[in-house]
Formats: sequence, structure tokens, C-alpha cells
Amino acid sequence: MDQKIVFIKDTGIENDRTKDYYALFLNLLRENSLEDQVQINRVADIGIYNQGLVVKIFEQDVIYANVKEEQIKEIVLKTIKEGKVIKELLFQSPPKQLRIVLRNCGEIDPENIDEYIAKDGYQALNKAVQENKPEKIIEELKKSGLRGRGGAGFPTWLKWKLTRETPEAQKYVICNADEGDPGAYMDRGVLEGDPHSVIEGLILAGFAIGANKGYFYVRAEYPLAVQRVELALAQAYDHGLLGKNILGSNFNFEIDIRLGAGAFVCGEETALIASIEGRRGTPRPRPPYPSVKGLWDKPTAINNVETLANIAPIILKGGDWYAAIGTEKSKGTKVFALTGKVKNSGLVEVPMGITLREIVYDIGGGMISSKGIKAVQTGGPSGGVIPQEYLDTPVDYENLQKLGSIMGSGGMIVMDEDDCMVDIAKFYLGFCVDESCGKCVPCRIGGYQMLALLDKITEGQGKLEDIEKLKRIALAMQKASLCALGQTAANPVVSTLKYFFAEYQDHIVDKKCRSHKCKHLLNYSIIQDKCKRCRVCLINCPVNAISGDKEQGFLVDPKICIRCGKCYEVCKFNAIAKE
Amino acid sequence: MIKLTKNDLDKIKAAHQDDGRDWIKVGMSTCGIAAGADKVYALFVEEIKKRKLDIQIKKCGCQGMCYSEPSVEVRVKGLPDVIYGKVDKEGVIKILDKHICGNTLVKDSIYELRTKR
Amino acid sequence: MIKAKINNLLIEVNDGVSILEAAKKAQIKIPTLCKHPDLPPGAGCGLCIVRIKGTPKMLRACCTPLEEGMEITTHDPEIVAVRRTVLELILSNHPNDCLQCGRNNNCELQTLVADFGIRDESFQKFLPNVAKDDSTRTIVLDAQKCIRCGRCVTVCQEMQNVWALSFLDRGFCTRISPAGDIKLADSPCIRCGQCSNHCPTGAIVELDETARVWEALQDEDKYCVVQIAPAVRVAIGEAFGYPIGTNLTKKLYALLRRLGFKAVFDTNFGADVTIMEEGSEFIQRYAHGKGTLPLITSCCPGWVDFMEKFHPDMINYFSSCKSPHEIVGVLAKTYYAQKKNIDPKKIVVVSIMPCTAKKNEIIRCEEMYASGCQDVDVALTTRELARMIKQAGIDFNNLPDEEADQMLGDYTGAGVIFGTTGGVMEAALRSAYFMLNGKNMEKIELNQIRGLEGVKVAEIQINGKKIRVAVAHGLNHVEYVLDKIRKAEKDGTEMPYHFVEVMACLGGCVGGGGQPYGVTDELRTKRAAGIYQNDENCKQRCSHENPFVQQLYKEFLGSPLGEKSEHLLHTHYRARPVYSK
Repeated sequence: MDQKIVFIKDTGIENDRTKDYYALFLNLLRENSLEDQVQINRVADIGIYNQGLVVKIFEQDVIYANVKEEQIKEIVLKTIKEGKVIKELLFQSPPKQLRIVLRNCGEIDPENIDEYIAKDGYQALNKAVQENKPEKIIEELKKSGLRGRGGAGFPTWLKWKLTRETPEAQKYVICNADEGDPGAYMDRGVLEGDPHSVIEGLILAGFAIGANKGYFYVRAEYPLAVQRVELALAQAYDHGLLGKNILGSNFNFEIDIRLGAGAFVCGEETALIASIEGRRGTPRPRPPYPSVKGLWDKPTAINNVETLANIAPIILKGGDWYAAIGTEKSKGTKVFALTGKVKNSGLVEVPMGITLREIVYDIGGGMISSKGIKAVQTGGPSGGVIPQEYLDTPVDYENLQKLGSIMGSGGMIVMDEDDCMVDIAKFYLGFCVDESCGKCVPCRIGGYQMLALLDKITEGQGKLEDIEKLKRIALAMQKASLCALGQTAANPVVSTLKYFFAEYQDHIVDKKCRSHKCKHLLNYSIIQDKCKRCRVCLINCPVNAISGDKEQGFLVDPKICIRCGKCYEVCKFNAIAKE
Repeated sequence: MIKLTKNDLDKIKAAHQDDGRDWIKVGMSTCGIAAGADKVYALFVEEIKKRKLDIQIKKCGCQGMCYSEPSVEVRVKGLPDVIYGKVDKEGVIKILDKHICGNTLVKDSIYELRTKR
Repeated sequence: MIKAKINNLLIEVNDGVSILEAAKKAQIKIPTLCKHPDLPPGAGCGLCIVRIKGTPKMLRACCTPLEEGMEITTHDPEIVAVRRTVLELILSNHPNDCLQCGRNNNCELQTLVADFGIRDESFQKFLPNVAKDDSTRTIVLDAQKCIRCGRCVTVCQEMQNVWALSFLDRGFCTRISPAGDIKLADSPCIRCGQCSNHCPTGAIVELDETARVWEALQDEDKYCVVQIAPAVRVAIGEAFGYPIGTNLTKKLYALLRRLGFKAVFDTNFGADVTIMEEGSEFIQRYAHGKGTLPLITSCCPGWVDFMEKFHPDMINYFSSCKSPHEIVGVLAKTYYAQKKNIDPKKIVVVSIMPCTAKKNEIIRCEEMYASGCQDVDVALTTRELARMIKQAGIDFNNLPDEEADQMLGDYTGAGVIFGTTGGVMEAALRSAYFMLNGKNMEKIELNQIRGLEGVKVAEIQINGKKIRVAVAHGLNHVEYVLDKIRKAEKDGTEMPYHFVEVMACLGGCVGGGGQPYGVTDELRTKRAAGIYQNDENCKQRCSHENPFVQQLYKEFLGSPLGEKSEHLLHTHYRARPVYSK
């Protein structure tokens, strides 16, 4: 079949005119008797955003963007008919995403080890065991500059080196797959899409530090991931990639799975260790660090899923290759779970140093509605909000920290004008309060007290002095909590106080929530001019807060109203005011 | 249990290189399954059997396009690889009728082009 | 050695010493509510934070070892402010019950709050809605006052290996409770009371039974007698400003008379009787092959409870002899009652004990009613006695010395050393040596089995034969000894020991769960020293030399292990479920 294939899509923010352009194209093709030679296709998404009409011509690999209606003819005549490229229309932008961790996700069948092997799987392990120089692996990681992707960004090579150098015969490696940040699911994506890449990374970790036993600590709420990891482990054992004398070497390594029972804090490494040991999942003080005294008091290296998925490519392609990607201090790529008010939510993998704006607009396709972007939340409950004026900040560990947020494990939630920042802070803090292990005072009681204060504020009962109390407790939590969960739990409050203080003031002084999120501050009323006296609101009100009759009109009694919003939803005439 | 060696790895790799057959690949991670990918997959299997088509049906993990799940990638010789998004039962039939049997891409359903093969 | 600076003072400490410990060298006391000298750092309270130059975080002094060249600030306005907030947070979750609390005036939290001068409650009060648990009738768990420092849990699980207490729920709802949210009485709890002794607040206290004693003392129809345990005499002074370890036996006799007791006895007398029985038991098993070796001591009720729950396979090794205060109790209501012609039903025996488990022991089985009624009516702890003294308005410090009442009051040095780890063994060996050899040991002090080492093992030469003994205290040390016995049992080899002494509490009764608060190894050592001093000062130092004991056997009991002794002074054991529900 020698058909040329043309894809078109109107990527403008205004109303989508793809269909009009499609008709134009068809007409022009017919006029030029090209309809049999060309297949023209309207696509739902072309991967480019806010660039007007985008035209991709298959085979020639040409992409035109910002094509004006009158230029379509030129495209048909020159490029389609004659195969000539119109330089002025060319859209040239290097791909924003770079897939290292997600290299095989969505490509291979995760349940078939051969497909992984076909993508150079286990070649890095082979290389490592044949060379038999574990120090070299650590050296290569040092060159790569890879830092832990679980949140804190500790250099992976150093963690491995310290574990390797602790004199002890028995050592362990653990894959931390207890992903729990709200809205983050990078690890799930990798475990479900390419479990062998993580297994290979874990085996390499074991080889590098001198451990013969590894554990997968996967949260039980990821049943499919557990199932796929179990299957992948069975296959790896079956193929002799786990067990004794791996790939003909004298390296032995075994992996077991342990399921997390749903406690967020078990993602903290010392709590995770306690949990594997069968104890209550609470953090313990460090030092000693797990690299010295970890699982069953033996030196243990704990790495996050994403970190481990990076290992094999680094060993195969070299640390220098990896170090060439990213920024000076943050190397390589980072996977983000892009969610919230963004058009294309999903997993994205980008080189470090890309800006938030690029992620949100060029990859995420921009905002889902016409409401303006207010902020981006990164780092989950330990992170903070980054207001839209900082969207051009290059993403790396240091920059995000400077802005009062953190890289975290990779949750990225886009917020618009409908999101109340006090409510957001309350949501994240509420999460940490629920998930606090209860061991230390600042986190256990501090978090609870802060949440009570935020409740008060969002209910319109707040006082300005509550802000001082919030700050005072936040400081105590940051300084005196035992583990990172407690130390960072106040971050969402601190960062919203920093950037969105005015919204707190609204709630406290004016008793208003500008995003209409905080229902205690809302007032529903009936706009008499618009009301058609249809009684639908009255019928639907669950608490009979609406009264009146067809002659007099209807009224909402704010004393009875529970602010459920039902009347607002059911009114067909927009006659309910919400303010 | 097989004890793999370096050679075996290479052999497996060679055996799994592109054999030129057409295929359909359904994203079967939690996000996809939640959106109905398992039903889509089952329907593909059923229809391919019914129509006696020479096309492989495969599973894969998440392609990262959660907003357009269930997603289905299709390779038919002569056409670019494309990923269809938000595929439902009708979508499956359309893909089979038009793309696989009719060599015509399905309109308004493509969410990603993999123009470079 | 490590050199570092604390508040600009150069100090030198051993490797591995925590900043909290090291700071003491610089005359700095860093506040903490969770770290206890007996226990590993729990890191729960967050009060001991300090600043280390070069790190942005504040670190916990309790669990951060001092490192070479560190420059530490223990107090600056921000650190103090953070500590203050943390304290206020604790208060926001703690009832303001100080005046009615068992720890009023003796509470670590109260003291810190007073030190910080906290005058207002900044934060909203949120109190957990949990009921008190007094099901054990020995210790009372009031989880509402708990600050979740975790000391009791660590004590119960790691120091005592009992695992009765644990944390339930999580986050703000975290609370102490037996696993499964059952009552303490249905849990593995052995009533040793170490939890109450380590609690910084009033969340776990002994059940106060002083009212019952006051009532009995008022009742003209009753004849109240009292006895004091060996370890009480060297600890009670701590409540009255005496140097730790001061022996106040004779003041206590005077005091108890002034409180209204008609006769003042000494548990040490009972200890001497115990030795006659237990020593004879040992000779029977060792020299005459009747019964199994090793012989394991049974005077610690916590240990007996622990054994019956967790190691019932050891029952055959156990000495059937009752504990000294039970012996005094039963003799008071039989021997003494007969001699004095008093109706035993009118006699009320009160035991002043360093122990909470004694409150449970007095009703543990039917043999505790051998006299025909309950042999010991009330067991009070040292702490309860201190309160009674204060209530009675007695100027304890200026009391004259008095003697105990005869027949059940005089004791030998062997009797008093029962109050410390190794003491029962030492006392028994002194008399066993005599029973086997016909003469006393040349050197009567057995230093090998003294001191605070968890398991002490020694070989004693008697008649050219070696007697192997083991002494364990703190129940986490017991397993080691029992496992050796079990292994020999299994392998059919010679038993590793002939005689084993176990006391549930670290240091023995001097560190008992009913003793004054704030116990540390230093305190245990000083209290034990007071006991050994008392031993040295005794005219007779072997139980068999006690003239009143001799008289008792001659006039009343007959011979050790004789029919009457067996009936009155011995008991038996049975396996008990770890969880009773």
C-alpha cells in the first residue's frame, strides 16, 4: 500500500476546529485527485499542544504546526503531492520525555521474561557477574550521579558503598515498593509494566554490596504489581537468574516478597525494616543507619523501585552516559505521576532540569478547563505547593527544596483556581495525621492539633492568632519529629502559608473561601430574577432548608442549610448563587 | 530449571526480534484494567478467533497515558503504529473492521502516533 | 575516647556514649520524658533535641552518639521554644488530674511543666476516651494519662520478656494496652510492676490499698500485725531524704508500732525459715537423689507466675517452698496465734513489700489459705508505706530505733540478703554447706553471685564436690539458663546446674516494681550494698543459727519438710494459660 498518511489536529486552546480542517483537506485532496493516494486522519491527541493546527505526514516524518487555514492548500500541493517540505511551517522541538525507567513500560509483556531479555534485559547483570568487580558497579554509579528516587535524593553509590564496607558476612538489599503518596503511582507503573527491570536492579544491588538475599517490600494495595513481581521472580528463578551460580558465576542471590499492610510510614526505611521483621511498623532513630545495622541488625541497602530500575541501563551504557542527562547536581530522569487539573494525566518521565511549565503544558497538554493554573504540588504530603509564578523553575532536588517543596517520590498535582489552598493543606496534613505511627509527640499530637486549627479556619471559626500557633507547631514538628514523615508533615501548611497567606486571611478575617471549596463558608441563595419557581431545589434539598411558594418565591435558610450543593446542581436555570 | 548463560540471553533476544507479524497490544496495568482493558482484551481475542485473523494479541504494561485508558497499540504492516485511547467495545470492532481488515486508521481515536518505526 | 564540645565546653567520653549522657559531664541536664537509664532510647518524646553545628536539623540527644569534633548546643532560645511547644502538645493530650494522681509531686511530666513555667494551655484539649484497667488488682493502667513514651512497653517486652503490654492503634489514637485490647488480668501480665516503676507519669501505678490497712488498724476487733520485706528497709529512706541504701530497719519497727500495729515482724525471719525448707529440699534432691535437679527458687511471685505461664515444663524443678512473707503470714495465724492465744480470724497480716506481684501472690492458690484463712491479708508496696507515714504525720527521720516483736521478728544475715539478686542462693548455700558438712563455710560471702550481671554462674566446693549454681534476674535473662537445662534434658547429659535462683526484677527485690521511683543500676547497687551491710552487721549470718527458727521447729513445726511444714510452708504449681481469655 503506497498511501500517504496524514494526521491532523487542532491544538489551539479555543474551540477545536479539527473537523473543519479535515473537511478542507478532503476537498483539496479531491480537487487534486489525491484522495486515493492519501489517507487523512483526525486524531484525538497528537502530542503537541497549543500550536494551532498540527499536521503530521507519515513516511516523510514531517510535522507542521501553527498551520493557518490558507496554508493547507500549500501543504497539499507541495508536501503531499510533490513531497517538498515547507520549512516555515516545520515544528521542531526535541521530545520532552526521555524514557529510561519506563523504557519497557507499555512496550513489552510484563508477564514474559523473554520479552524483557529481548530488550537487553539481564545483560547488565551478565556483564557484572562476568567481570566480577562489584566495586566497579559502585564506581559506575558514582559517575552516573544517580540519587535515590524515593524522595530524599541520597546518592545511591554512597549508600551502596557504605553497606558494602560494613564488615559483616550477612547483608541484605531491599526494594522499597511501599509507594503511598496520594496521587503518586510511578512505582506501580514500573512494577506492573516492567518488573524484571527492578528485579535486575535489585540483583545488581545485591551483587555490588555483597548480599545474597533481597526483599521486595510491596504494599498489599497493589495486588497486580504483587502478582506480576511474583510471576517475574518465579521466571527469574526458573531461568537461573536467581538462585545459585547466577549466569554461570559463583554469585548466589535470592529474593522474597513481603507485603506491606497499608501503613504509609512503612515506606520510611527503619519502619519498613521493622515491618519485615514482623514488628510494629514504627521508625527508629538513625544512626545506626540501615547500611550499618538494618534488617535483623545486618547491613542493609534499601532502594526505591525507580532507583533500581535505573541501575541496569547505567551499568550497560555507563555512568557517563547517564550523567550527561539532567542538571549539575541532579542527574538522569525522573518519573512523575502528573495528575490534577491537567488535560493529560499520567506517568511522564523527563530529564532533570525540565521546567514545571514544560511538564504541565507541553507534556500534560495544559489545563483541563479554562480556569487558570494556581499551583503545582510536588512531593506528596511531605512536599509543598509551588505557585504558578515559579513554573519556569527547572525541576531538580535543590530547586524544589529552595521553593519550599521537595522532589519526593514523584507525585505532581496541578491545581487551578477551584482549589482552595487551605483545603489542600488540610487534605495533605490530614493524610499525615492518619498515617502517623504515633510514636513521637511532635508528629502524633502536633499534626492533630494543626489539623484541628485548620478545621477551625475552614469552618470560619479561625482567629489570626491561630496562624501563629500553626507556625509554632510546624516548627516543633520539623525540628523535633523522629522521622521524615513527621519532619515534613507540616510542609504543605508551611508552603501554603508562605505563598497563599491571603487565602488564609480570607478564611479567617472575611470568612470567605475564594475557591468555594470550604463549605462552611459558602452561602447558597436563590437569585429571584432567574428563578422560575419550578420547586426542583426545594424537592431535592435533603434537609428542607428551602421554603416558599410559587407566588412568593423561594428562600434558602442558611441556618438549616448544610451546604451540600444539591440545589446548585439541580437548578436548570442557574438561579442558585454560591458565594 | 534452566541455567542461562550469556549465549542463551543472546539467543532469546534474537528469537524475539520483530517477526514481521501484525499485532495488537492492550495496556493491562491497574489503570487500564480499571478502565475496562480486560474486557477490551477479551473481545479482541474472541473477535480475532471468530474472524480467523492472522494477528497477534499481546498484553503490555502502562504506557503512561492514564487519561486515555484503555489504550490499544496496533501494528499493521504499511500503516504507522498508533495507540488508540479510550477504547470500548465499539472501538474494538472499529479497529478490527477498519484498521486491521480495512487498512484505514480509525478517526478521532488515536492518542499517540509512533511515527518512527 | 571521643573529644567534642558541648556548649563550648570540651569534654571527653567513651566511644558510643550518647549526647544525653555526655552532656551530664558538662553539668548539663537535657530534658527527656522517654529515655530511662535502664532502657535503650525510644526516641518518642522529642524533648531532648539538640543542635549540632553543621547540620540543619535538630537531633535527639538520647539516641545520637557523640562523635569526634562535634560542636553541640543543648540550649538556645529556639531549642527551648521547640521543647516548650512539645511539652504543651503533650499537655494538650493529658488530663489535668495532677491533684488526684498517683504520681502527684513525683511525676516527671509535672516537674518539667513546672520547670518550663507553663501557665496557659495554648492548644485545645483532646483526651482519649479510655477506661482505667485495674483488673489485676495490683497495678492500675490509666491509659488516659499515658504520654506514649513507650518505656512500659519496652520494659514489659524487652526487659521482662512478658509481652503483656504493647501499643495498639496508631497515630493520635495510639495507646498502651495488652494485645487484642483485653484486660491486663487476662493478658500474660505477671504483675511485676516494672512498668509502674518506669512510667514517667501516673499512667501505671500500683493499686493503692492503704485505705484497707487504715480501716483494719481502726477496727478494735482486729489484731493487726505487720512484716517488712528485706528490700524495703534500704529503699524507704529515699522518700524521706536519706542517702540511697540507708538501712532503716529499726526506725521502721518503731514507725509501724506507732501506726498502730500490735506486732511488728520481719519477713527476714520467714526467709530464714525458707532456707531451712528450701535448703533441706536441696539436700534431699542433691544428696539423697529424691527429686530432680536443678532446684529452682520460688520466692519471687513474678517469676512463679512467669514460669507457670511460659515455662510450665520447669514445674518439677521448682522448690515447693512458699515465699518468706507467706511463711510469716501463715505462722502468724497459727504458731503466733496459738502462743499468744489470739483467734487467728482476728489477725490481719499486712506485708510491706518492694513488690506489686505480692498483691497477687496472697491469693494465688489454696495453699495461701493454709492457716484456715487468708494467710496474708494485704500486701502494700514501699511506695504505699511512704504515703502512710506521711499521712500519719510521723516525723520518720527523728524516730527512735526499736526492735521487732519476738518469735517472728529476729533474723540472720542470710535472711536479709534475700532482698537482692543472688541473696537467696547465697543464703541457701550457707545453710546447705552446714547441712552437708556439719560446719559453716570459712568465707561466708559468695561474691561470685553478687552484683548486677544478668546471669551469674558459679561453682561452690562442698565436701570436695562442685555444686554448680546459676543466678538470673530480669526475666529476659532467664531464657539463657532455662535453655541450658532443656538442652541437657533433651540430650540426656548432665545438668548444667544444681541450683538456680531467679528473681523477676533487675537487681532482685531492691529493684522491685513497688520500690520508690527512679530506679537505676546505681540505685540498685546502693540499695544492695545497704542489704549486704546489714548482713555483715548481723550476729548470726546463717539461717540455721537463728535461735527463734530453731525454737519454731522444736516447739511447732517439727523438722523441715516434716508433715506440718509441708502443710503450712509449701505450695504447688500448675501450668496456666498465657492468655486467660
